[in-house]
Formats: sequence, structure tokens, C-alpha cells
Amino acid sequence: MTETTYPDRIKPITPSAERLDAQRRRAKLAHAVRRASIYILAVAIAIWILLPIWLIASMAFSTPADVRAFPKQILPSPFSTQTLEFFLNTQGIINSTINSLVVAVLALVISTLLAVPAGYAIARYLFPGRDAIRLGILSVRAFPVVVLAVPLAVVFIRLGMFDKVHSLAMMHAALTLPTTILVVASVFASVPYELEEAALIFGCTRAQAFWRIVLPLALPGIAAAAILTFVLSWNEVFAAILLTISNRTLPAQILYTLDKSGDPFKFAGGFFMLVPSLIFIFFIRRYLFNMWGQINK
Amino acid sequence: MAEIVIERAVKRFGKFVAIDDVSLTVHDQEFVVLLGPSGCGKTTLLRAIAGLGMLDDGRIVIDGRDVTYLPPKQRDISMVFQNYAIFPHMTVFDNIAFGLKMRKLAKETIRERVDHAAKLLHIENMLERYPGAMSGGQRQRVAVARAIAYDAKVLLMDEPLSNLDALLRLEMRAELKTLLARLGATTVYVTHDQIEALSMGDRIAVMRAGKILQVDTPTRVYDLPANQFVGSFIGNPPMNFLYGQVRRQDGATKIKIGELLITPPEEMQPPLRAYEGRHIYLGIRAENMEALTQPSPDTLPVTVEVIEPLGSQNLLTAHIEGGMLKISTHPDFPATTGGQIWLRFPVRKIRWIDPDSGEAIVPDLEKVLA
Amino acid sequence: MKKIGLTPYLLLLPSLIYLLLFFAYPMVQSLQLALRREGQYLHLRAEAKEEAAPTGTVAMQTDVTVLDRVRGEELLPNGRTRPVYWFLVEGPDTSGVPVQGWVSQRDVFIESRTESTTARVVNGEATQEWTLDYVRRMVTDFRFGNALATSVLLIVLILPLQFILAIVMALVLQSQIRGSTVFLYIYAIPLGISDLASGILWYSIFTQRGFLNSFLVSTGLLDQPFIFIQAGNQGWMIAAIVLAEVWRATSIVMVIVVSGLQAVSRDVIEAGEVFGANLWQRLRYIILPMLKPSLQVALILRTILAFQVFAVVVAITGGNVITVLANETYRWYDPARFNNPNVAAVYAGFIMLLSLGISFFYLRAVRSQEEATRAT
Repeated sequence: MTETTYPDRIKPITPSAERLDAQRRRAKLAHAVRRASIYILAVAIAIWILLPIWLIASMAFSTPADVRAFPKQILPSPFSTQTLEFFLNTQGIINSTINSLVVAVLALVISTLLAVPAGYAIARYLFPGRDAIRLGILSVRAFPVVVLAVPLAVVFIRLGMFDKVHSLAMMHAALTLPTTILVVASVFASVPYELEEAALIFGCTRAQAFWRIVLPLALPGIAAAAILTFVLSWNEVFAAILLTISNRTLPAQILYTLDKSGDPFKFAGGFFMLVPSLIFIFFIRRYLFNMWGQINK
Repeated sequence: MAEIVIERAVKRFGKFVAIDDVSLTVHDQEFVVLLGPSGCGKTTLLRAIAGLGMLDDGRIVIDGRDVTYLPPKQRDISMVFQNYAIFPHMTVFDNIAFGLKMRKLAKETIRERVDHAAKLLHIENMLERYPGAMSGGQRQRVAVARAIAYDAKVLLMDEPLSNLDALLRLEMRAELKTLLARLGATTVYVTHDQIEALSMGDRIAVMRAGKILQVDTPTRVYDLPANQFVGSFIGNPPMNFLYGQVRRQDGATKIKIGELLITPPEEMQPPLRAYEGRHIYLGIRAENMEALTQPSPDTLPVTVEVIEPLGSQNLLTAHIEGGMLKISTHPDFPATTGGQIWLRFPVRKIRWIDPDSGEAIVPDLEKVLA
Repeated sequence: MKKIGLTPYLLLLPSLIYLLLFFAYPMVQSLQLALRREGQYLHLRAEAKEEAAPTGTVAMQTDVTVLDRVRGEELLPNGRTRPVYWFLVEGPDTSGVPVQGWVSQRDVFIESRTESTTARVVNGEATQEWTLDYVRRMVTDFRFGNALATSVLLIVLILPLQFILAIVMALVLQSQIRGSTVFLYIYAIPLGISDLASGILWYSIFTQRGFLNSFLVSTGLLDQPFIFIQAGNQGWMIAAIVLAEVWRATSIVMVIVVSGLQAVSRDVIEAGEVFGANLWQRLRYIILPMLKPSLQVALILRTILAFQVFAVVVAITGGNVITVLANETYRWYDPARFNNPNVAAVYAGFIMLLSLGISFFYLRAVRSQEEATRAT
């Protein structure tokens, strides 16, 4: 090493040791305060999100008497599944839950089957009209359900498709299709085209290359999009309440009977509806930005 | 103008030590290049000088003021970023004026200084444009103009040329060098490109794994690398290292490579005596060996394996016992692939390296001579 | 990219057909429902004959005065005849102008063919016509103004809160904290929660025997529960809806802002720091301007979605005292209540126009602002 340090050269021109120490302490403190306030903010926001969920969960696991009690407990004591059981045993709940599941799964299947080829085309081909189609899909993805539900209900009545589970599923599939196509397209776009070309070089047909190389790589993203469709359909209430009468889905059933129901039913129902969302958002959290990140392009 | 003193700086990221007890002094108006492979801590060191990320230990003094714990704003520094970091939503003018506006300077002063900086970088006719539609070279100029207009005591540059294409880089390199010499700012310049470092810096600080291995002028870093790493990192091709046995013969310390016996110069005799009976590395640059077509005394016969004509020279790759050797020859030198040539090693050009530590056995050869 | 062929179109075709079927076709239907009326009209004749020239048209169920009558004969298939009366009547036509003409006894309901002086039209040709009646019904309904005002008020209250909170969330997530993936998951949870569930959640807090009152009473801040949700307390009801919506729908804005932030390179923000901008200045002059496209998208999306807020309102307030446009749409449609899909379609169309109008306004506002800054 040719460089030497100059401790004695610095001393006269820098602040005294105590002042430096004070400066260092202040800087470290300021830094620590800054970091700590970010953490406090982060935790505060997390509490803001989680607290209502905790409250409703604690209600769902209390006895119906505790649910009606005042003042309420933050912790369910005693812990009980009576309220949830009461909710599930209420007439129409099991049926509407099954309806909800059937609708959501059907919607997921329809929307995924349609979106995979469409997304692939948008991601991989450069063709006249591509941008126009993309823009069109982009613009209908925020299309209000409220606007579509009324005329569709009338059309479904005319076609004899009213109050059918599969009709509602088709409607939900239509609502999520634009988003699904865009997500699937972004997922396919993230699989390098070179991999597909390599597969072609090594003897795959185009279909085989898609089936063996591209699809497996894109599968997690496609699954995320499918889950999103499921959640949207599971949650959707406006079209559900307009398009069904005897085959209500869960949210539609709960909403329809809301003003005739007591608090235990409402709270257990609220909790029961949000549980799948908690699980599914966990699985698709990595893909949230795929869904909205490409929005500016 | 300002001197930068970095004293025993340490920076950790979790368990990883990015800067490991580094000390460095950059003199007033000096141009120091931090050179090293990626991940060596050079950018971290530069950012520590800038105040982007606080040191865990040690201190940084700029112009006699301890700035270790001050934010960038209070350090009187200016910087050119690797990806230019041009504000895309502002015009070129606003980009260059940004720092001056933050300092709340008068409008006329800002206009004046922006115009001046823009002229220096030949972008005075682009001031109203947005960076979005500009080429990499033009953005680079904006980034430099912004740094210059800020008129700080210290100018920091983080691989400013690495995103330009080769030809533009060459052009910009020369231009930057003249510009910075004219401005006389104290400059710290980070790069992984050794040619850039050799051609631009007053001094080069070679870094590896968070440590500075050598700080020296470009010629000394090139000719007298402090250790094996510096020798092989700097120069293209890298320095050759031959493995030789030190032995006592005819009353002198000699080194045996294959059949060749090399007699070190007189001043190297005392330090090398300690290595008798062991092996050391002999470092020699490709252009410092003398290649002959005929056997002659004190030469090492080698077989040429590859000939790469590079225009101004031919680069030969030869196989020797225990490794490869790169030899640079005149294009007319009649070597043939598979043919034999004989190499002579001028002892004054050899760097003697301890095989265990990789360090030069006598780092400051001139001082020994003097 | 592959070479152009028919393939991409074939791959896209099913989706495009499906979207047309479920978006374009209902839109046309909606327009018909809202603006077309099916009616039956009777043509009055110049003479007491089927083939006589028409003198005017009268709508079904119109009351007319009988001015004159003639007795004719009608030939039946079996060869016999039977008497048929024709009446000269006067009544208002479709635009209210009185018209006169002859009608057959089959087309009117009349008490006595020989003596009555009034009759009611009960027959006519089926036709469709444009009408603003349904629009008029919507606009004149006393709840309409209320619903519109509440919808707009909710947007004005909710959006600023959402955007501030979302930007704070995004900045916190991007500030390299430990466990940021956990925080991201937590912040994203409401994405998957329906407005109904969210409404019930906040109902459990604001209801008379809810958590807020439990807290206030057990800490001694109140002696007895305060009834937040009741007809006289619209302010509190709105506040509960705002909180529920901010709680539920901020996540989507957060996700959009985070992906926008990811596109802002760290270098650029650090450059701001090096050139002397403090935290607020960096936010104001660098981060926010660069986030503008993302914020604009989020703003449009959130506005459109805000007009669809429905279940939250019903779950928290019951949907009677406080109502919003989407709730009115449902109320008019609901077979158990007004059972009038036409007015419901007008509401739907109105929401559509509002959404389009506001999106257009945002885009224009942002663009003109950009032009203004570019000009200086």
C-alpha cells in the first residue's frame, strides 16, 4: 500500500473529538428516528387494515349472546363456533355458498380459457390492429357492472337464461376477461421469446414449444389471474342480485336478507365472505403489480 | 477548492462488508479514479462521499470539514450518476437549474450559470427540450452540465460513460478530461474500465473486496502493480505470472523457470534471499518480453499455440510449464502456430511477487534504488 | 415477435366475440330500455270503413268522446251477418292535440253501443317509439337528486383521503424496510374484500352496540352509547361509509402507485437529494410529477368504481336515508319494489355518462396542465 493515513493532519482542521462525537450521535439519532418513524407508520397502517378484520373475526367466533352484548369484547371469550354455525344453518346459506363456488369456478374456467390464447397473441405477435385491440381491452376493464347488469338481466329473461347460475358465471367471466387477458399477456411477455425459439430449433413444433416451454413458465402467473377472477366473482354482488332470484350467490343472499337479519348473522356472514379473499390474495401477491404495473404502457 | 480525506471508512450491508477500513486522500483539484471489478465497493465509497448512505465507522473530511454525518445537501458536492438520473419530466434547462433553484439563487444567476454549463457541453440549443427524446450521449451531457452548473467543491462521477456506445465513449472521454482539467474541480470518478482509468486519472485507486489495494499514478499502477491482482486486473492482456523456483547458485540468488535461470538485479538480491528453496511469481507484461526466432543464451523456449493479429501488434499465446503466457510482438515477427520461439526476460521489467500473499516482495522498488 | 398471419386474429377472436356479446350488445339493449317505449296506437279513420284514410292516432287507454255512430254489417265466415257499430270519436292524439275520426266497436270499450257518449281505446297497432318519459321519471324522482349528491359527495370525500393514504403506503413500502413483503401483503388484503363484507365490518364498528361505542363507553368517554347510524345523523353515516371505502379500496390505488414508483429509478430521487432537495421537495418536484400517469389512471379507475358503491351503503345505512346512484338502479330494477327496468336502465346510462364525462375531464385537465407547464 502506498497510501498512508494522516491522522495528525486532520486533527487541527476538524472539529474536536467531543463535538464530532456529539455530531455523530445526533446523526445516528436522527437516522434512527427517521427509520423508527417509518416503521411506526408501517405498523400503524397495518393495524388500520387488520383491526376491523380482527374485530369481525372475534365476533364470528363468539357466542351469539356475546355478539349482542354491550360493551363488546375485543377477544372472543368464550371462544365459540355457535355464531358461525347459526349462520351456516340459516336457510339458503349453504345453497348460496355452493352457488357462489359454482359461479366463481365457472367464471374462472371461461375467462382463463378465453384469455390464454388472446393474451398469447397480444404478447407474441405484432399484427395490424394490435394496439387498437389492446387499447379496447384496456378501456373496457373499468366498465361499470351497474351499467351492464340491467340490460343483461332483461336479455337473459328474454332468452330464458335468467336466474341461472351459468348465466351469472358468464357475466362475471366477461367482467374479468379484459383484466385476465392483459395479465396473461404480461406474463407471456415475461417469458423470453428466445426460449421458444430454442425449443423450435431443438425440434419442437410451435404448439409443442408453447405446451412444453412457455405454458409451464407462465403457469403461476396464469393461475394468479385465474384466482383473481375467482375472488372478483366471489365478491361481486350487484350483477348477482340482479341476475338471480332463487339461485342467489352468497353475497346476494346476504345482502337480500340483510335488513331482516340480526347482528350475529351479519357478522358471521361478513367474516365468512372475507376468508377466501385473505387466502387468495396471499397466493397472488407477487402478481399484483403484473395486474396494474403495465397500465401506463 | 477542496481536499477530500477518507479515514478508516467502514460500511456494512448486514454481514457483508462493502468498504473495509479504507483510507484515501484526494488532493485539491486532483482527479482520482476508483477502479475495480463490480462489487468491489467503489460505488459504495463514492456514495459515502456523496452522503447517500451513512458510514458505519471512520470519517470523511471535505475541505477541512468533517462531513461524515451530514446529508448530501450540506456537503457541497455534485454528482453524475451512472444512468444519468435526468429528471424526465423537466426540460433540459430545468434539469440543469434544479440544484441552483434548490439553493434559491436569483433567476438571472441561474440563467447565467445554466447557459454557461450548457455551452461548455454544447447543448445550449437543447435547453427547452425534454430528455425523453434525447440520445444517451445527449443525456450524458445534460447530466454533466447539471453537475457542473451546481458548482460544488467536489465532483463525483459514477461510471458516467458506461452506458454509452464504444465510439461515443472514446469521444466523451477526451472531452470530459479537458473539461475537468479546465474546471479544476476535485473529482472522484468511479469506473470498472481500466482504459478509462489509465487515460483519465491523475491517480488511480484500485479496489477489491472493499479494500484499496493500490493508489498510484496510471503509469506506476500499470508498471509497478502492488500485487498480483492489480497486475492482472490492469492492462490488456493482463500481466503474466510465471512460477519459478528460487535457488542459490554461483554465489547469487537465482530463479529457475523450466531450464532457464534468471538472475535478479542486484537490489533484489537481499529481499529474495529469504525465499531460497521456495517458489515465487515473476510478473511480466506481454510487451516487455523479447521474442526471438532462434535459440540464444538466457532464453526460454516456448511453443506458440495461438496467434492473434491485432493490427499494431500480434498477440501470441504460448504454453509453458504450469500455465499460459501472452506475448505481444511486432506484426512482422515470424511466429507460426505450433512453432517454437525463444523468450528473453529483461530483469528490470519483472515484478517479484510473494506466492502466498500475492503482494510484491518490494513494493517501492524506486525507493530502494534511491 | 412472429411474422404476421391469421393466427393472432384467430387466437383473439373468441375473446373479442365474447366481449362484444357482453359489453356491446347490452349497451345497445340498455339504450333501448332507457329511451324506447313499446306502445299500441289506434288509427282513426276518415270514414266508417277499415280501409278509409287515417285522420290521426290515439294511444291505448285514451278516453274519447263519442260524437256520432253508425250501424254497419259484418259478414261472418258462415255466411251470416251481424251488426257492427262505428263511432265518430274525438280525443287527444299522442302529442295532446284533439283529433276526430271513425273507429270500429272492436277497438274501443264502450258501456252502451247506442247511448254512451264516452269510450276508451283498447286496441291498436304495436309500435316502438323514442321517449324521454323514463328519463323524466328518473329526474323527477325525489331520491334522484339525493342519490346524485351523495354519490358525488362520497367521491369528493373519499378520493383525496385514498390518494394520500395510498401514496404514504407506497412510500413506506418502497423505503427498504424489513418485512416489506409482509407489509405489502397486509396492505393488499382489502383488494380481495367485497364492498358488502367491508360494509358489514364497519357496520360492526359503528352500530349502536358496536365496537366504537364499546370503546367510548368502557373508557368513560361516553356515558351511554351514541347512535351513529340513525336518520338524524347523516354526517356520521357518511363518515362510516367514507371510512369503509377508504379502508377497502385504497389498496388498488396503492398497487398502482407502487408500480408507478418502481418505474421511478432510485438514481433520479438520489439526484434530487444530491442537488439539495429535502424530503418534501423531492416528493413535490420529482416523485409526484413522475407518478402523474399512474395517479391519473388510478383516479379514473377509482372514480368509475366509486359510482358503483352500493353494498357498503346498504350494509351500513340500510340504503333508505342515504342512497346512491347504484342503489337507485337496483331499487328501480328490483321486481319486489319498483319493478321498472326502463328507469333502472336510465340510471345505468346516467352512471355511464358520468363516468365517461369525468374520465374525459381528468384527461383534458391533465393535458392542458402539461401544455401550460411546457409553455412556460
